[in-house]
Amino acid sequence: MAMMPKRVKHRKSQRGRIKGNAQRGNRVSFGEFALQGVQGGWISAATIEAGRIAAQQYLRSEGRLYIRIFPHKSITSIPLETRMGKGKGEPDYWAAVVKPGTVLYEIGGVSEEAARLCFARVAHKMPIRCRFIKRQ
Amino acid sequence: MTQEVESLHVKRRTTRGTSNARRLRAAGSVPAVLYGHGEETVSIAVPATELSQALRHGSKFVDLAGDLSEKALLTDIQWDVWGNEVLHVDFTRVSADEKVQIQVPVELRGEAPGSKENGVVAHLIHEVTVECAATQVPEKIEVNINHLELDQQITVGDLKLPEGVTLDLQPEAVVVQCVPAQEEQEEEEVSASSEPEIIGRSESEEGGGSE
Repeated sequence: MAMMPKRVKHRKSQRGRIKGNAQRGNRVSFGEFALQGVQGGWISAATIEAGRIAAQQYLRSEGRLYIRIFPHKSITSIPLETRMGKGKGEPDYWAAVVKPGTVLYEIGGVSEEAARLCFARVAHKMPIRCRFIKRQ
Repeated sequence: MTQEVESLHVKRRTTRGTSNARRLRAAGSVPAVLYGHGEETVSIAVPATELSQALRHGSKFVDLAGDLSEKALLTDIQWDVWGNEVLHVDFTRVSADEKVQIQVPVELRGEAPGSKENGVVAHLIHEVTVECAATQVPEKIEVNINHLELDQQITVGDLKLPEGVTLDLQPEAVVVQCVPAQEEQEEEEVSASSEPEIIGRSESEEGGGSE
C-alpha cells in the first residue's frame, strides 16, 4: 500500500517552490550504496512504492533496502471536464518534495555491482534524473 | 596500517568571508583553519590537489609546511552538497606522542557464509571513535566476516585493533550481524479511511470533507 501520513494538520497544501540543493538527507547514512536525485521534483507515493518493488524484486531476499523519502505533501487536482474556479480541488495523491541532492533509497549488505544493477532499475521508475553514490 | 605523514604547503589567509573563500576555491585552494593547544587560531589556505591526495590516502595526521610549520590532525571536513569538493577543513594542533580521539571507518572484509543461507549481513556501526597516539591513527578498522554464520554477530569486543589503539564503545555493541532475510510482507490490509486523520478535528467534522 502506498505511503501517506497518519495524521496531518491540514488536508491541502500550497504548491510551493523547490529552491536550492538538499543541505540535509544528502549523504549515505544507513547502507553502503544509495540512489541520489540530481534534479528536484515531487515523487508520488505510488512512484516510491514502484521503486521499492523494483528494488526488492531484484534483490530477492538479499541485502537491505532503506527508503529515505516520505510523501508528506498532499497534491490536489480538479476533476476532468470541470469549469475553472469554485475553489481548490480535492486531495488526489501524496508526494515527497525532493531537492537536488536528496538521497532517495539506500542499500546495504550487497555487492557494489548488484547495488548498481538494482538502482538502475529503480532509477527508471523515478520522474527525476538520479545517480548512484557510495558511502563517503 | 598507519598512514605515512603527508605534507601540506599552506599559506596564511588574511581575507575572510564567503566571497573571498569562493575566490580562493576558484584559484585552486581550500580555506582551512588551525587551532588547539591554547594557541591562537590561524586561518590558512591549503592547495586543493595536495589536500585531495591526502584524503585519498586516508591521511589524518599531516605536516603543515610553508607559512607555518606545525603538526596537525585533520579533524573536520566540509563537503559540498554532492560530496565532490571540499569546502573547508579544520586542523587541530597535535604533538606526535599526544593521545587523540578520532573517528575511523569500519570496513567489512570477505563474504559471510550466513548470507548463502538466506541471511542478510547488517553492518550497524560504520564509524568508531578511537583513542591513540596522533602518529598511530589507523586508516580504517577491518572486520573479517568470513566466519559469520546465520544469527551470529561481531561485537566491538571482537574487533582486532592495532597496537596502542583503544575504543570508547561498550564491548557488547554489535558492529555487524547476519540476520535471516525478511520475506516480502503481504499487502497490508487497507485501513478504514484512505485519508489521514486531521489534527484538531473531530470525526463528525471530517465527514464534511471541505476545508
